[in-house]
Amino acid sequence: LTIVVPVKAAVPNITAVRLDPNTHNLVREGVPLMINPYDRNAVELALRIKDRFGGKVVTISMAPPNGKDFLESTIGMGVDEGILITDRVFAGADTLATSHAIAKSIAKLYPNFNLIIMGEETTDSTTAHMPAQVASWLEVPFVYYAIDAEPNIKDGTVRVSRYLEDEGLVEEFIYNMPIIMSVYRNSNPPRDISLNRKIMAKVNGLVKVLTNKELGLNPDCVGLKGSPTIVAKIEDAKPLPRKKQIFQGDPKEGAKWLLENLVKEEVIR
Amino acid sequence: MVCPEWNQVNKDDYRGIWVYVEHFNGKISEGSLQLIGKAKELAAKLGVDVTAIMVGKDLDKLLMEPIYYGADKVIYVDDDRLSVYLPHLYAASVVELANKYKPEIILFAATKRGRELAPYVANTLRSGITADCTALDVDPKTRDLDQVRPTYGGNILAHIRTPTRRPQLASVRPNVFPTPPRDESRKGELVKEKLSKLPEPRGRYLGSKSITEEDESGLPPVEKSDIVVVAGKGVNGVEGVKLLTDLAKLLGGTIGGTKKVTDAGWLPTSRQIGQTGRTVRPALYIGMGVSGAIQHVFGMNESKIIVAVNSDPNAPIFNYVDYGVVGDYKQVTEALLELLRERKKQ
Ligand SMILES: Cc1cc2nc3c(=O)[nH]c(=O)nc-3n(C[C@H](O)[C@H](O)[C@H](O)COP(=O)(O)OP(=O)(O)OC[C@H]3O[C@@H](n4cnc5c(N)ncnc54)[C@H](O)[C@@H]3O)c2cc1C
Ligand SMILES: Cc1cc2nc3c(=O)[nH]c(=O)nc-3n(C[C@H](O)[C@H](O)[C@H](O)COP(=O)(O)OP(=O)(O)OC[C@H]3O[C@@H](n4cnc5c(N)ncnc54)[C@H](O)[C@@H]3O)c2cc1C
Repeated sequence: LTIVVPVKAAVPNITAVRLDPNTHNLVREGVPLMINPYDRNAVELALRIKDRFGGKVVTISMAPPNGKDFLESTIGMGVDEGILITDRVFAGADTLATSHAIAKSIAKLYPNFNLIIMGEETTDSTTAHMPAQVASWLEVPFVYYAIDAEPNIKDGTVRVSRYLEDEGLVEEFIYNMPIIMSVYRNSNPPRDISLNRKIMAKVNGLVKVLTNKELGLNPDCVGLKGSPTIVAKIEDAKPLPRKKQIFQGDPKEGAKWLLENLVKEEVIR
Repeated sequence: MVCPEWNQVNKDDYRGIWVYVEHFNGKISEGSLQLIGKAKELAAKLGVDVTAIMVGKDLDKLLMEPIYYGADKVIYVDDDRLSVYLPHLYAASVVELANKYKPEIILFAATKRGRELAPYVANTLRSGITADCTALDVDPKTRDLDQVRPTYGGNILAHIRTPTRRPQLASVRPNVFPTPPRDESRKGELVKEKLSKLPEPRGRYLGSKSITEEDESGLPPVEKSDIVVVAGKGVNGVEGVKLLTDLAKLLGGTIGGTKKVTDAGWLPTSRQIGQTGRTVRPALYIGMGVSGAIQHVFGMNESKIIVAVNSDPNAPIFNYVDYGVVGDYKQVTEALLELLRERKKQ
């Protein structure tokens, strides 16, 4: 059983991050990268499957060179090996171009993968595009918001249950492997990182680095050039015009003042 | 240069706006109907039609609905192989239709199912997609779709375009746009399509069960009410939430919470309002002990009247209110309850 878990190096506290006024890019200098929190739930589901059925779990990330460290921490959780895809030609990728590089790397390194398990979305860009896009590149079925998955090694199937938060519905499917799933962010709370294992990962070089030299993707099809979307313009989000009448003083008077205004506005009858 | 591995796109071959109309268990998702309203506005600027796309099995009863809500046309597929929802089959169906008809824009409601489907469609067409847009516009000259999405935690808006590829795809969360009026006298065209390139299912749907989260309030979902009382961390526990639930009941509204409140388990996740929760646009929003973090504001910004009570005069929420009271939420709520009860008696 080979399980591949793509993970992203997310920018920690997104609201505290600055933008370069000229390039519109995130100023990443001095910002420590951390694993996208929901990707740890994906790693957890992969490890639970491995704990029960055996096999190998690999994490893979497209990130700047300092992404090695957070891949090592996934090994600290129990992952077997990590792959860091890093190359300047991959910079500026939208979700299509990112998923392209990830999918092609998986096809090259782990052509016989059984499962690809991903996070529900990232906390810094929150598109949730990637799992379906990787599925599109690899032409395999996909299902989002998994809460549990149970492979049957004998017949090559996997039973997946998933939770649709907005419908309050748990659905169950059975698929022939390989498939791709994303993991519902409030399921599979991740286990701790063992520092010993993490150090062992560093010492033994369990994270391999891959550049486009090895991958051989057409530079016109990756990174900024391989991205159909462009950021045409950015602007500060302005609050909508509001009346902004503020009452300060006795709470009872405040309540009375509020009620009068809401009756006047005809939102309370 | 455009990636030579992709199909070459002649933008002039692509015309018209599509809305993917999601349905499940014989019900159309409201978010899709809301997009029909927006699509009509865009279509008027481009001088094209709005087409609703429906795929599934036994759709007869639903087919006219998109037209009643403003679509000019419905293209649909009624196929045994689509009798249950498998994400890759539904997505592949939309891809095949798009390859045949070449729309310039496809819009998806960003429901949980829509978020799953849309990126597969976009990617298979080798085009771009923007997630969770909060505003959409078109440039009549270039016919580019201006896709606006809040980024970097919400304090900045990015205008994203797909200038070299078609169709242009975008998703929009439910309730970001209002539902257009339903008009049964509207007429439109129904076009039945057959699929020839559907992939192997490779999987089976085994069934589903509803799990209603524990929700003691008995009040309607946050999206369904015209008055929403919202508990923030400042209410300091379930007791506070209970007090606000009483207020919501008395007002004939419902109760919601910030992420901190639902994370703490004081309310079920289904009542979380904001970027990673629900979007509401009630006539009246009342935030109690809510600081006004941008991720929360995102989910309530479109409310008609916004009210907040917060003990901190510098709380960011006061930048977004029509009426704000600086003070203890509990004292203000208790006073409000008393006043409302008196009013009821009269
Ligand atoms: C604020 C902001 C908004 C953006 N909006 C858009 C947009 O609307 N459309 C668009 O095309 N691009 C957009 N981008 C670009 C997009 O964020 C990047 O392409 C990014 O590399 C992948 O998207 P995501 O973080 O949203 O991933 P998601 O699709 O939300 O991530 C889902 C899962 O994919 C995996 N994953 C994601 N990134 C990687 C990676 N680098 N390596 C390995 N696995 C990964 C993880 O398992 C993750 O949990 C945006 C970027 C920013 C900063
Ligand atoms: C990726 C991401 C997604 C997120 N998505 C969401 C989302 O969907 N929805 C959401 O809500 N948040 C979301 N958040 C979290 C958000 O950033 C804030 O942390 C959260 O909204 C704050 O909740 P709060 O206002 O209840 O609590 P706090 O920020 O802790 O504010 C509590 C407020 O209560 C006031 N207060 C205290 N005591 C009293 C009293 N007695 N009377 C009156 N006022 C009092 C305080 O002055 C303070 O302003 C997200 C964050 C991230 C990073």
